[in-house]
Amino acid sequence: MIGRIWAIALNTFREAARIRVLYGILVLVLGSNGLALVLGQLSAHEAGRVARDVGLAGISLFGSLTAIFLGVFLLYTEVARRTIHTIVTKPISRWEFVVGKYLGMALVLSVLVGVFALAMIVMLVVQGAGVSGAVAKAVVLSWFEVLTVAAIAIFFSSFSTPFLSGIFALAMWAIGRVTPDLEAQAQLAAPWIRITTKIALEIVPDVHLFAVSGRTLDGAAVSVHGDFVAWSYVGLAGAHGLGWIVALLALAALLFHRRDFV
Amino acid sequence: MADLAIDVHDLTKTYRTPFTRRKVEALRGVTFSVERGQIFGFIGPNGAGKTTTIRTLMGLVRPTGGRATLLGHALPSRAAREKIGFLPEAPYFYDYLDVGELCDLAGRLFGLAPRVRAQRADELIEKVGLGQARGQSLKKFSKGMLQRAGLAQALMNDPELVVLDEPMSGLDPIGRKEVRDLILELRDRGKTVFFSTHILSDVEAITDRVAIIARGQLQAHGTPAELVSRSVQGVDVIIRLAPPAAGPGPDGDAETADAQLTRGAVRVRRVGEELSLTLAADTDVDAWIARAHAAGARVVQIAPRHETLEDLFVRRVAGADRPAAEERAKP
Repeated sequence: MIGRIWAIALNTFREAARIRVLYGILVLVLGSNGLALVLGQLSAHEAGRVARDVGLAGISLFGSLTAIFLGVFLLYTEVARRTIHTIVTKPISRWEFVVGKYLGMALVLSVLVGVFALAMIVMLVVQGAGVSGAVAKAVVLSWFEVLTVAAIAIFFSSFSTPFLSGIFALAMWAIGRVTPDLEAQAQLAAPWIRITTKIALEIVPDVHLFAVSGRTLDGAAVSVHGDFVAWSYVGLAGAHGLGWIVALLALAALLFHRRDFV
Repeated sequence: MADLAIDVHDLTKTYRTPFTRRKVEALRGVTFSVERGQIFGFIGPNGAGKTTTIRTLMGLVRPTGGRATLLGHALPSRAAREKIGFLPEAPYFYDYLDVGELCDLAGRLFGLAPRVRAQRADELIEKVGLGQARGQSLKKFSKGMLQRAGLAQALMNDPELVVLDEPMSGLDPIGRKEVRDLILELRDRGKTVFFSTHILSDVEAITDRVAIIARGQLQAHGTPAELVSRSVQGVDVIIRLAPPAAGPGPDGDAETADAQLTRGAVRVRRVGEELSLTLAADTDVDAWIARAHAAGARVVQIAPRHETLEDLFVRRVAGADRPAAEERAKP
Protein backbone atom coordinates (compact mmCIF):
# COMPACT_ATOMS: atom_id res chain seq x y z
CA MET A 1 0.00 0.00 0.00
CA ILE A 2 2.73 2.46 1.00
CA GLY A 3 4.68 1.63 -2.18
CA ARG A 4 1.66 2.33 -4.41
CA ILE A 5 0.80 5.59 -2.64
CA TRP A 6 4.43 6.66 -2.82
CA ALA A 7 4.55 5.84 -6.56
CA ILE A 8 1.57 8.13 -7.18
CA ALA A 9 2.97 10.84 -4.88
CA LEU A 10 6.35 10.78 -6.61
CA ASN A 11 4.73 10.94 -10.04
CA THR A 12 2.51 13.83 -8.91
CA PHE A 13 5.56 15.67 -7.61
CA ARG A 14 7.28 15.26 -11.00
CA GLU A 15 4.12 16.39 -12.77
CA ALA A 16 3.68 19.47 -10.58
CA ALA A 17 7.37 20.37 -10.78
CA ARG A 18 6.89 20.81 -14.54
CA ILE A 19 4.07 23.35 -14.20
CA ARG A 20 5.53 26.68 -15.26
CA VAL A 21 3.00 28.71 -13.29
CA LEU A 22 4.71 27.52 -10.11
CA TYR A 23 7.97 29.09 -11.22
CA GLY A 24 6.05 32.31 -11.93
CA ILE A 25 4.68 32.24 -8.38
CA LEU A 26 8.19 31.59 -7.06
CA VAL A 27 9.51 34.63 -8.92
CA LEU A 28 6.57 36.68 -7.61
CA VAL A 29 7.30 35.72 -4.00
CA LEU A 30 11.02 36.36 -4.36
CA GLY A 31 10.18 39.70 -6.01
CA SER A 32 7.84 40.68 -3.17
CA ASN A 33 10.61 39.88 -0.69
CA GLY A 34 12.92 42.15 -2.68
CA LEU A 35 10.26 44.85 -2.58
CA ALA A 36 10.02 44.40 1.20
CA LEU A 37 13.76 45.07 1.34
CA VAL A 38 13.21 48.41 -0.39
CA LEU A 39 10.15 49.26 1.73
CA GLY A 40 12.14 48.37 4.87
CA GLN A 41 14.83 50.86 3.91
CA LEU A 42 12.18 53.55 3.47
CA SER A 43 10.60 52.91 6.89
CA ALA A 44 12.23 54.25 10.02
CA HIS A 45 13.59 51.42 12.21
CA GLU A 46 10.85 49.08 11.00
CA ALA A 47 12.77 47.16 8.35
CA GLY A 48 12.52 43.86 10.27
CA ARG A 49 8.78 44.27 10.85
CA VAL A 50 8.16 44.94 7.13
CA ALA A 51 10.30 41.96 6.14
CA ARG A 52 8.45 39.62 8.52
CA ASP A 53 4.99 40.87 7.46
CA VAL A 54 5.69 40.66 3.73
CA GLY A 55 7.49 37.32 4.00
CA LEU A 56 4.81 35.61 6.11
CA ALA A 57 1.97 37.11 4.06
CA GLY A 58 3.68 35.79 0.92
CA ILE A 59 3.92 32.27 2.32
CA SER A 60 0.29 32.25 3.41
CA LEU A 61 -1.22 33.98 0.37
CA PHE A 62 0.84 32.53 -2.47
CA GLY A 63 1.16 29.14 -0.77
CA SER A 64 -2.63 28.87 -0.40
CA LEU A 65 -3.30 30.08 -3.95
CA THR A 66 -0.80 27.55 -5.27
CA ALA A 67 -2.47 24.83 -3.19
CA ILE A 68 -5.85 25.72 -4.74
CA PHE A 69 -4.34 25.81 -8.23
CA LEU A 70 -2.65 22.41 -7.89
CA GLY A 71 -5.57 20.85 -6.03
CA VAL A 72 -8.18 21.72 -8.63
CA PHE A 73 -6.05 20.83 -11.66
CA LEU A 74 -3.95 17.81 -10.82
CA LEU A 75 -6.82 15.44 -10.01
CA TYR A 76 -9.08 16.82 -12.74
CA THR A 77 -6.50 16.45 -15.51
CA GLU A 78 -5.97 12.80 -14.61
CA VAL A 79 -9.62 12.18 -15.47
CA ALA A 80 -9.87 14.61 -18.40
CA ARG A 81 -6.72 13.28 -20.11
CA ARG A 82 -7.58 9.68 -19.19
CA THR A 83 -4.17 9.04 -17.70
CA ILE A 84 -6.17 7.61 -14.81
CA HIS A 85 -7.28 4.70 -17.04
CA THR A 86 -3.78 3.28 -16.93
CA ILE A 87 -3.44 3.81 -13.18
CA VAL A 88 -6.67 2.66 -11.53
CA THR A 89 -6.74 -0.49 -13.65
CA LYS A 90 -3.63 -1.58 -11.77
CA PRO A 91 -4.02 -3.13 -8.30
CA ILE A 92 -4.44 0.22 -6.55
CA SER A 93 -7.52 1.40 -4.66
CA ARG A 94 -9.02 4.70 -5.63
CA TRP A 95 -8.50 6.04 -2.12
CA GLU A 96 -4.81 5.19 -2.41
CA PHE A 97 -4.73 7.17 -5.63
CA VAL A 98 -6.40 10.21 -4.01
CA VAL A 99 -4.06 10.06 -1.01
CA GLY A 100 -1.04 9.64 -3.33
CA LYS A 101 -2.09 12.68 -5.37
CA TYR A 102 -2.50 14.69 -2.19
CA LEU A 103 0.86 13.63 -0.78
CA GLY A 104 2.58 14.50 -4.06
CA MET A 105 0.97 17.93 -3.93
CA ALA A 106 1.88 18.29 -0.27
CA LEU A 107 5.48 17.51 -1.17
CA VAL A 108 5.54 20.21 -3.86
CA LEU A 109 3.85 22.72 -1.55
CA SER A 110 6.25 21.91 1.27
CA VAL A 111 9.21 22.59 -1.02
CA LEU A 112 7.60 25.88 -2.10
CA VAL A 113 6.89 26.94 1.49
CA GLY A 114 10.47 26.01 2.32
CA VAL A 115 11.82 28.18 -0.51
CA PHE A 116 9.50 31.08 0.46
CA ALA A 117 10.65 30.78 4.08
CA LEU A 118 14.30 30.65 3.05
CA ALA A 119 13.84 33.81 0.99
CA MET A 120 12.28 35.53 4.01
CA ILE A 121 15.08 34.38 6.31
CA VAL A 122 17.71 35.68 3.88
CA MET A 123 15.87 38.99 3.77
CA LEU A 124 15.66 39.17 7.58
CA VAL A 125 19.37 38.44 7.90
CA VAL A 126 20.20 41.07 5.30
CA GLN A 127 18.08 43.55 7.26
CA GLY A 128 19.93 42.55 10.42
CA ALA A 129 16.62 41.59 12.08
CA GLY A 130 17.45 37.95 12.80
CA VAL A 131 15.04 35.01 12.90
CA SER A 132 12.98 34.66 16.07
CA GLY A 133 11.11 31.63 17.36
CA ALA A 134 7.87 33.48 16.57
CA VAL A 135 8.79 33.61 12.90
CA ALA A 136 9.56 29.88 12.88
CA LYS A 137 6.18 29.13 14.50
CA ALA A 138 4.39 31.43 12.05
CA VAL A 139 6.05 29.64 9.10
CA VAL A 140 4.99 26.24 10.46
CA LEU A 141 1.41 27.51 10.93
CA SER A 142 1.39 28.83 7.35
CA TRP A 143 2.61 25.44 6.15
CA PHE A 144 -0.33 23.78 7.95
CA GLU A 145 -2.65 26.31 6.36
CA VAL A 146 -1.33 25.55 2.85
CA LEU A 147 -1.70 21.79 3.38
CA THR A 148 -5.28 22.21 4.65
CA VAL A 149 -6.20 24.42 1.69
CA ALA A 150 -4.78 21.77 -0.67
CA ALA A 151 -7.11 19.19 0.90
CA ILE A 152 -10.08 21.57 0.44
CA ALA A 153 -9.19 21.99 -3.24
CA ILE A 154 -8.72 18.27 -3.87
CA PHE A 155 -12.06 17.55 -2.17
CA PHE A 156 -13.93 19.84 -4.58
CA SER A 157 -11.89 18.57 -7.51
CA SER A 158 -13.07 15.01 -6.86
CA PHE A 159 -16.53 15.86 -8.20
CA SER A 160 -16.39 19.25 -9.92
CA THR A 161 -14.71 21.16 -12.74
CA PRO A 162 -11.50 23.14 -12.08
CA PHE A 163 -13.34 26.47 -12.40
CA LEU A 164 -16.06 25.63 -9.87
CA SER A 165 -13.61 23.78 -7.61
CA GLY A 166 -11.38 26.86 -7.63
CA ILE A 167 -14.27 29.16 -6.73
CA PHE A 168 -15.50 26.86 -3.94
CA ALA A 169 -12.02 26.32 -2.50
CA LEU A 170 -11.19 30.01 -2.64
CA ALA A 171 -14.49 30.87 -0.91
CA MET A 172 -13.93 28.27 1.81
CA TRP A 173 -10.39 29.49 2.44
CA ALA A 174 -11.53 33.13 2.60
CA ILE A 175 -14.45 32.35 4.93
CA GLY A 176 -12.26 30.12 7.08
CA ARG A 177 -9.80 32.97 7.45
CA VAL A 178 -12.42 35.36 8.89
CA THR A 179 -14.58 32.90 10.82
CA PRO A 180 -14.11 34.71 14.21
CA ASP A 181 -15.07 38.04 12.64
CA LEU A 182 -18.18 36.51 11.04
CA GLU A 183 -19.15 34.93 14.36
CA ALA A 184 -18.69 38.25 16.13
CA GLN A 185 -20.88 39.99 13.56
CA ALA A 186 -23.51 37.26 13.81
CA GLN A 187 -23.77 37.84 17.58
CA LEU A 188 -25.27 41.23 16.81
CA ALA A 189 -27.83 39.85 14.34
CA ALA A 190 -31.21 38.17 14.79
CA PRO A 191 -31.22 34.74 16.54
CA TRP A 192 -31.97 32.80 13.33
CA ILE A 193 -29.06 34.46 11.53
CA ARG A 194 -26.82 33.70 14.50
CA ILE A 195 -27.80 30.02 14.50
CA THR A 196 -27.58 29.71 10.69
CA THR A 197 -24.15 31.35 10.66
CA LYS A 198 -22.92 29.09 13.44
CA ILE A 199 -24.05 25.95 11.61
CA ALA A 200 -22.64 27.18 8.28
CA LEU A 201 -19.26 27.99 9.83
CA GLU A 202 -19.05 24.52 11.38
CA ILE A 203 -18.55 23.01 7.90
CA VAL A 204 -15.77 25.43 7.04
CA PRO A 205 -12.21 24.44 8.04
CA ASP A 206 -10.85 26.80 10.72
CA VAL A 207 -8.06 28.22 8.60
CA HIS A 208 -7.95 31.27 10.92
CA LEU A 209 -6.20 29.10 13.50
CA PHE A 210 -3.10 29.27 11.32
CA ALA A 211 -3.11 33.06 10.94
CA VAL A 212 -3.13 34.33 14.49
CA SER A 213 -0.72 37.26 14.31
CA GLY A 214 -2.65 40.48 15.02
CA ARG A 215 -5.51 38.64 16.75
CA THR A 216 -6.49 38.31 20.39
CA LEU A 217 -6.32 34.83 21.90
CA ASP A 218 -7.64 34.20 25.43
CA GLY A 219 -7.71 37.96 25.99
CA ALA A 220 -4.07 38.47 25.03
CA ALA A 221 -2.83 40.16 21.85
CA VAL A 222 -0.78 37.88 19.63
CA SER A 223 1.83 39.24 17.26
CA VAL A 224 4.75 37.75 15.39
CA HIS A 225 6.64 40.93 16.25
CA GLY A 226 6.05 40.51 19.97
CA ASP A 227 4.26 37.91 22.08
CA PHE A 228 3.40 34.98 19.88
CA VAL A 229 1.69 31.63 20.51
CA ALA A 230 3.46 28.73 22.22
CA TRP A 231 4.64 25.60 20.36
CA SER A 232 1.80 23.69 22.06
CA TYR A 233 -0.66 25.94 20.21
CA VAL A 234 1.17 25.22 16.94
CA GLY A 235 0.89 21.48 17.67
CA LEU A 236 -2.83 21.71 18.45
CA ALA A 237 -3.51 23.81 15.36
CA GLY A 238 -1.57 21.25 13.28
CA ALA A 239 -3.63 18.41 14.76
CA HIS A 240 -6.80 20.34 13.97
CA GLY A 241 -5.61 20.86 10.39
CA LEU A 242 -4.69 17.18 10.09
CA GLY A 243 -8.22 16.27 11.21
CA TRP A 244 -9.68 18.41 8.43
CA ILE A 245 -7.21 16.98 5.89
CA VAL A 246 -8.13 13.39 6.80
CA ALA A 247 -11.87 14.18 6.71
CA LEU A 248 -11.67 16.01 3.38
CA LEU A 249 -9.54 13.30 1.76
CA ALA A 250 -11.90 10.61 3.05
CA LEU A 251 -14.84 12.43 1.46
CA ALA A 252 -12.89 12.99 -1.76
CA ALA A 253 -11.97 9.29 -1.88
CA LEU A 254 -15.61 8.31 -1.31
CA LEU A 255 -16.81 10.56 -4.14
CA PHE A 256 -13.97 9.43 -6.39
CA HIS A 257 -14.77 5.80 -5.67
CA ARG A 258 -18.29 6.21 -7.08
CA ARG A 259 -17.21 7.89 -10.31
CA ASP A 260 -17.32 6.33 -13.76
CA PHE A 261 -14.23 7.06 -15.87
CA VAL A 262 -15.54 7.16 -19.43
CA MET B 1 -17.13 -26.28 -17.18
CA ALA B 2 -14.02 -24.93 -18.90
CA ASP B 3 -11.54 -22.83 -16.96
CA LEU B 4 -12.66 -19.30 -17.75
CA ALA B 5 -10.54 -16.16 -17.82
CA ILE B 6 -13.55 -13.91 -18.40
CA ASP B 7 -17.16 -14.76 -17.65
CA VAL B 8 -19.77 -12.10 -18.32
CA HIS B 9 -23.48 -12.53 -17.61
CA ASP B 10 -26.23 -10.16 -18.67
CA LEU B 11 -24.04 -7.08 -18.26
CA THR B 12 -25.89 -3.79 -18.61
CA LYS B 13 -24.77 -0.19 -18.45
CA THR B 14 -27.11 2.76 -18.68
CA TYR B 15 -25.83 6.32 -18.73
CA ARG B 16 -27.87 9.46 -18.29
CA THR B 17 -27.13 12.49 -20.44
CA PRO B 18 -25.90 15.48 -18.39
CA PHE B 19 -28.77 17.93 -18.71
CA THR B 20 -31.78 16.17 -20.19
CA ARG B 21 -31.16 13.07 -17.99
CA ARG B 22 -32.14 10.94 -21.00
CA LYS B 23 -31.21 7.27 -20.61
CA VAL B 24 -28.58 5.88 -22.97
CA GLU B 25 -28.22 2.11 -22.90
CA ALA B 26 -24.58 1.43 -23.72
CA LEU B 27 -24.75 -2.29 -22.83
CA ARG B 28 -27.96 -4.31 -23.03
CA GLY B 29 -27.48 -7.72 -21.46
CA VAL B 30 -24.08 -8.74 -22.78
CA THR B 31 -23.16 -12.37 -22.06
CA PHE B 32 -20.03 -14.17 -23.18
CA SER B 33 -17.07 -16.09 -21.82
CA VAL B 34 -13.40 -16.44 -22.65
CA GLU B 35 -11.51 -19.62 -21.88
CA ARG B 36 -8.00 -19.43 -20.48
CA GLY B 37 -5.20 -19.60 -22.99
CA GLN B 38 -7.27 -18.28 -25.89
CA ILE B 39 -7.05 -15.21 -28.09
CA PHE B 40 -10.48 -13.61 -28.09
CA GLY B 41 -11.41 -10.91 -30.60
CA PHE B 42 -14.14 -8.46 -29.64
CA ILE B 43 -15.42 -6.67 -32.70
CA GLY B 44 -18.09 -4.12 -33.42
CA PRO B 45 -18.68 -0.79 -35.14
CA ASN B 46 -18.06 2.56 -33.44
CA GLY B 47 -20.40 3.08 -30.49
CA ALA B 48 -21.29 -0.61 -30.33
CA GLY B 49 -20.28 -1.00 -26.69
CA LYS B 50 -16.81 -2.58 -27.03
CA THR B 51 -14.97 0.02 -24.98
CA THR B 52 -17.79 0.25 -22.41
CA THR B 53 -17.60 -3.53 -21.94
CA ILE B 54 -13.83 -3.38 -21.50
CA ARG B 55 -14.00 -0.39 -19.14
CA THR B 56 -16.62 -2.19 -17.09
CA LEU B 57 -14.44 -5.29 -16.87
CA MET B 58 -11.45 -3.16 -15.88
CA GLY B 59 -13.39 -1.37 -13.11
CA LEU B 60 -13.34 2.05 -14.76
CA VAL B 61 -17.13 2.00 -15.14
CA ARG B 62 -19.65 0.52 -12.72
CA PRO B 63 -22.16 -1.80 -14.38
CA THR B 64 -25.86 -0.99 -13.99
CA GLY B 65 -26.71 -4.70 -13.90
CA GLY B 66 -25.39 -8.18 -14.50
CA ARG B 67 -22.24 -9.80 -13.21
CA ALA B 68 -18.79 -10.68 -14.40
CA THR B 69 -15.74 -12.56 -13.17
CA LEU B 70 -12.12 -12.10 -14.22
CA LEU B 71 -9.79 -15.03 -13.56
CA GLY B 72 -12.38 -16.37 -11.13
CA HIS B 73 -12.71 -13.12 -9.15
CA ALA B 74 -16.04 -11.27 -9.12
CA LEU B 75 -15.89 -7.63 -10.22
CA PRO B 76 -14.61 -5.30 -8.98
CA SER B 77 -11.49 -7.16 -7.86
CA ARG B 78 -8.05 -5.89 -7.00
CA ALA B 79 -6.80 -9.48 -6.81
CA ALA B 80 -7.80 -9.94 -10.45
CA ARG B 81 -6.14 -6.66 -11.48
CA GLU B 82 -2.84 -7.95 -10.10
CA LYS B 83 -2.89 -10.61 -12.83
CA ILE B 84 -4.20 -8.47 -15.68
CA GLY B 85 -2.36 -6.26 -18.16
CA PHE B 86 -4.45 -3.52 -19.74
CA LEU B 87 -3.92 -1.24 -22.69
CA PRO B 88 -6.63 1.46 -22.91
CA GLU B 89 -8.08 2.75 -26.18
CA ALA B 90 -6.02 5.64 -27.65
CA PRO B 91 -3.81 5.69 -24.55
CA TYR B 92 -2.59 8.95 -23.08
CA PHE B 93 0.28 8.68 -20.66
CA TYR B 94 2.17 11.18 -18.53
CA ASP B 95 4.03 12.88 -21.35
CA TYR B 96 6.92 14.05 -19.15
CA LEU B 97 7.98 10.44 -18.54
CA ASP B 98 10.06 8.34 -20.90
CA VAL B 99 9.05 4.77 -21.69
CA GLY B 100 11.37 3.34 -19.04
CA GLU B 101 9.86 5.58 -16.36
CA LEU B 102 6.35 4.65 -17.51
CA CYS B 103 7.18 0.96 -17.15
CA ASP B 104 8.78 1.64 -13.77
CA LEU B 105 5.61 3.42 -12.58
CA ALA B 106 3.50 0.45 -13.73
CA GLY B 107 5.91 -1.92 -11.98
CA ARG B 108 5.69 0.05 -8.74
CA LEU B 109 1.89 -0.11 -8.85
CA PHE B 110 2.14 -3.88 -9.33
CA GLY B 111 4.41 -3.99 -6.28
CA LEU B 112 7.45 -5.34 -8.17
CA ALA B 113 10.91 -5.16 -6.63
CA PRO B 114 13.27 -2.53 -8.16
CA ARG B 115 15.52 -5.14 -9.82
CA VAL B 116 12.56 -6.98 -11.37
CA ARG B 117 11.12 -3.65 -12.58
CA ALA B 118 14.35 -2.68 -14.28
CA GLN B 119 14.83 -6.09 -15.90
CA ARG B 120 11.23 -6.38 -17.17
CA ALA B 121 11.26 -2.81 -18.46
CA ASP B 122 14.44 -3.47 -20.44
CA GLU B 123 13.04 -6.67 -21.96
CA LEU B 124 9.66 -5.23 -22.84
CA ILE B 125 10.98 -1.99 -24.30
CA GLU B 126 13.16 -4.02 -26.65
CA LYS B 127 10.30 -6.40 -27.43
CA VAL B 128 7.93 -3.60 -28.51
CA GLY B 129 10.69 -2.00 -30.58
CA LEU B 130 11.26 1.15 -28.55
CA GLY B 131 14.88 0.48 -27.61
CA GLN B 132 16.08 3.40 -29.75
CA ALA B 133 13.56 5.79 -28.15
CA ARG B 134 14.32 5.01 -24.50
CA GLY B 135 15.57 8.43 -23.54
CA GLN B 136 12.83 10.40 -25.30
CA SER B 137 9.89 11.77 -23.35
CA LEU B 138 6.51 10.34 -24.34
CA LYS B 139 5.54 13.83 -25.50
CA LYS B 140 7.71 13.28 -28.57
CA PHE B 141 6.23 9.86 -29.37
CA SER B 142 4.03 9.21 -32.41
CA LYS B 143 0.65 7.53 -31.95
CA GLY B 144 2.12 4.19 -32.92
CA MET B 145 5.03 4.59 -30.49
CA LEU B 146 2.60 5.45 -27.68
CA GLN B 147 0.66 2.30 -28.49
CA ARG B 148 3.89 0.28 -28.17
CA ALA B 149 4.75 2.03 -24.89
CA GLY B 150 1.25 1.16 -23.68
CA LEU B 151 1.81 -2.48 -24.54
CA ALA B 152 5.12 -2.50 -22.66
CA GLN B 153 3.59 -1.07 -19.46
CA ALA B 154 0.63 -3.48 -19.74
CA LEU B 155 2.95 -6.49 -19.67
CA MET B 156 5.11 -5.39 -16.72
CA ASN B 157 3.40 -7.80 -14.30
CA ASP B 158 3.74 -10.78 -16.67
CA PRO B 159 -0.08 -10.96 -16.67
CA GLU B 160 -2.23 -14.07 -16.98
CA LEU B 161 -4.87 -12.09 -18.86
CA VAL B 162 -4.07 -9.29 -21.29
CA VAL B 163 -6.89 -6.89 -22.20
CA LEU B 164 -6.15 -4.66 -25.17
CA ASP B 165 -8.59 -2.01 -26.37
CA GLU B 166 -7.87 -1.37 -30.06
CA PRO B 167 -4.18 -2.40 -29.88
CA MET B 168 -3.66 -2.06 -33.66
CA SER B 169 -5.02 1.47 -33.80
CA GLY B 170 -2.48 3.95 -35.13
CA LEU B 171 0.04 1.31 -36.14
CA ASP B 172 1.50 0.93 -39.63
CA PRO B 173 1.33 -2.51 -41.33
CA ILE B 174 4.68 -3.56 -39.83
CA GLY B 175 3.61 -2.42 -36.39
CA ARG B 176 0.33 -4.30 -36.74
CA LYS B 177 2.18 -7.46 -37.68
CA GLU B 178 4.48 -7.06 -34.67
CA VAL B 179 1.49 -6.67 -32.35
CA ARG B 180 -0.17 -9.72 -33.92
CA ASP B 181 3.04 -11.69 -33.39
CA LEU B 182 3.22 -10.47 -29.80
CA ILE B 183 -0.37 -11.57 -29.15
CA LEU B 184 0.38 -14.99 -30.64
CA GLU B 185 3.52 -15.26 -28.53
CA LEU B 186 1.52 -14.43 -25.40
CA ARG B 187 -0.98 -17.16 -26.27
CA ASP B 188 1.87 -19.61 -26.84
CA ARG B 189 3.12 -18.79 -23.34
CA GLY B 190 -0.29 -19.75 -21.95
CA LYS B 191 -1.68 -16.23 -21.54
CA THR B 192 -5.23 -15.23 -22.38
CA VAL B 193 -5.57 -12.26 -24.72
CA PHE B 194 -8.83 -10.32 -25.06
CA PHE B 195 -8.71 -7.53 -27.60
CA SER B 196 -11.10 -5.27 -29.40
CA THR B 197 -10.54 -4.05 -32.92
CA HIS B 198 -12.09 -2.75 -36.11
CA ILE B 199 -9.55 -4.56 -38.27
CA LEU B 200 -11.28 -7.78 -39.21
CA SER B 201 -8.33 -9.29 -41.06
CA ASP B 202 -6.38 -9.22 -37.78
CA VAL B 203 -9.21 -11.00 -36.02
CA GLU B 204 -9.44 -13.67 -38.70
CA ALA B 205 -5.69 -14.16 -38.66
CA ILE B 206 -5.10 -14.75 -34.97
CA THR B 207 -8.23 -15.29 -32.87
CA ASP B 208 -9.47 -18.54 -31.41
CA ARG B 209 -12.90 -17.09 -30.71
CA VAL B 210 -14.70 -13.89 -31.57
CA ALA B 211 -17.73 -11.96 -30.38
CA ILE B 212 -19.54 -9.36 -32.44
CA ILE B 213 -21.27 -6.58 -30.56
CA ALA B 214 -23.60 -3.94 -32.00
CA ARG B 215 -25.93 -1.46 -30.32
CA GLY B 216 -24.89 -2.75 -26.89
CA GLN B 217 -25.93 -6.34 -27.60
CA LEU B 218 -23.92 -9.39 -28.54
CA GLN B 219 -24.76 -10.43 -32.11
CA ALA B 220 -22.56 -13.51 -32.46
CA HIS B 221 -20.11 -15.48 -30.35
CA GLY B 222 -17.96 -18.46 -31.31
CA THR B 223 -14.95 -19.57 -33.30
CA PRO B 224 -14.54 -17.87 -36.71
CA ALA B 225 -15.14 -21.26 -38.37
CA GLU B 226 -18.39 -21.77 -36.45
CA LEU B 227 -19.67 -18.32 -37.21
CA VAL B 228 -19.12 -17.99 -40.93
CA SER B 229 -21.26 -20.05 -43.28
CA ARG B 230 -19.32 -22.77 -45.13
CA SER B 231 -21.80 -22.87 -48.03
CA VAL B 232 -20.62 -21.39 -51.34
CA GLN B 233 -21.68 -17.76 -51.56
CA GLY B 234 -20.53 -17.25 -55.15
CA VAL B 235 -17.66 -17.93 -57.55
CA ASP B 236 -14.70 -15.57 -57.90
CA VAL B 237 -13.34 -15.54 -61.44
CA ILE B 238 -10.46 -13.71 -63.09
CA ILE B 239 -10.20 -13.84 -66.90
CA ARG B 240 -7.94 -12.18 -69.42
CA LEU B 241 -10.01 -10.84 -72.29
CA ALA B 242 -9.15 -11.18 -75.96
CA PRO B 243 -8.33 -7.92 -77.78
CA PRO B 244 -11.56 -6.02 -78.54
CA ALA B 245 -13.22 -7.15 -81.75
CA ALA B 246 -16.16 -5.66 -83.55
CA GLY B 247 -19.33 -7.62 -83.87
CA PRO B 248 -21.53 -9.77 -81.67
CA GLY B 249 -20.48 -11.87 -78.68
CA PRO B 250 -20.29 -15.67 -78.45
CA ASP B 251 -24.08 -16.02 -78.11
CA GLY B 252 -24.41 -14.56 -81.57
CA ASP B 253 -26.60 -11.60 -80.62
CA ALA B 254 -25.70 -7.92 -80.79
CA GLU B 255 -24.46 -7.79 -77.17
CA THR B 256 -20.62 -7.48 -76.82
CA ALA B 257 -18.50 -10.29 -75.30
CA ASP B 258 -17.83 -8.18 -72.15
CA ALA B 259 -21.48 -7.55 -71.55
CA GLN B 260 -22.42 -11.19 -72.02
CA LEU B 261 -19.76 -12.43 -69.63
CA THR B 262 -20.61 -9.95 -66.89
CA ARG B 263 -24.35 -10.46 -67.15
CA GLY B 264 -25.68 -11.74 -63.82
CA ALA B 265 -22.37 -11.17 -62.00
CA VAL B 266 -22.60 -9.91 -58.42
CA ARG B 267 -19.38 -7.89 -58.64
CA VAL B 268 -17.36 -6.76 -61.64
CA ARG B 269 -13.99 -5.03 -61.78
CA ARG B 270 -11.92 -4.48 -64.89
CA VAL B 271 -8.24 -3.52 -64.90
CA GLY B 272 -6.85 -3.30 -68.44
CA GLU B 273 -7.51 -6.61 -70.16
CA GLU B 274 -8.14 -8.41 -66.87
CA LEU B 275 -11.71 -8.86 -65.73
CA SER B 276 -12.37 -9.85 -62.13
CA LEU B 277 -15.91 -10.79 -61.19
CA THR B 278 -17.99 -12.73 -58.72
CA LEU B 279 -20.67 -14.94 -60.19
CA ALA B 280 -23.83 -15.77 -58.30
CA ALA B 281 -23.74 -19.06 -56.38
CA ASP B 282 -26.31 -20.70 -58.69
CA THR B 283 -24.47 -19.83 -61.94
CA ASP B 284 -23.75 -22.73 -64.30
CA VAL B 285 -19.99 -22.29 -64.08
CA ASP B 286 -19.15 -24.83 -66.84
CA ALA B 287 -21.42 -23.07 -69.31
CA TRP B 288 -20.00 -19.69 -68.30
CA ILE B 289 -16.40 -20.90 -68.86
CA ALA B 290 -17.38 -22.25 -72.25
CA ARG B 291 -18.84 -18.85 -73.16
CA ALA B 292 -15.64 -17.16 -71.99
CA HIS B 293 -13.52 -19.45 -74.14
CA ALA B 294 -15.80 -18.89 -77.11
CA ALA B 295 -15.25 -15.16 -76.66
CA GLY B 296 -11.51 -15.67 -76.80
CA ALA B 297 -10.94 -15.03 -73.08
CA ARG B 298 -8.45 -16.99 -71.00
CA VAL B 299 -9.51 -18.10 -67.50
CA VAL B 300 -6.73 -17.10 -65.08
CA GLN B 301 -8.34 -18.09 -61.77
CA ILE B 302 -11.57 -19.58 -60.55
CA ALA B 303 -12.46 -20.27 -56.91
CA PRO B 304 -15.57 -20.78 -54.80
CA ARG B 305 -16.35 -17.87 -52.49
CA HIS B 306 -17.19 -18.61 -48.84
CA GLU B 307 -18.54 -16.16 -46.31
CA THR B 308 -15.83 -14.13 -44.60
CA LEU B 309 -15.84 -12.64 -41.13
CA GLU B 310 -16.34 -9.28 -42.80
CA ASP B 311 -19.50 -10.56 -44.54
CA LEU B 312 -20.76 -11.90 -41.22
CA PHE B 313 -19.87 -8.66 -39.46
CA VAL B 314 -21.70 -6.52 -42.00
CA ARG B 315 -24.71 -8.85 -41.95
CA ARG B 316 -24.96 -8.95 -38.15
CA VAL B 317 -24.34 -5.26 -37.63
CA ALA B 318 -26.85 -4.32 -40.32
CA GLY B 319 -29.30 -6.73 -38.68
CA ALA B 320 -28.79 -5.04 -35.33
CA ASP B 321 -29.37 -1.62 -36.87
CA ARG B 322 -32.58 -2.61 -38.67
CA PRO B 323 -34.96 -2.69 -35.64
CA ALA B 324 -33.63 0.68 -34.53
CA ALA B 325 -34.17 2.15 -38.00
CA GLU B 326 -37.68 0.71 -38.09
CA GLU B 327 -38.33 2.16 -34.65
CA ARG B 328 -37.18 5.60 -35.87
CA ALA B 329 -39.37 5.33 -38.97
CA LYS B 330 -42.55 4.77 -36.93
CA PRO B 331 -44.89 7.76 -37.15
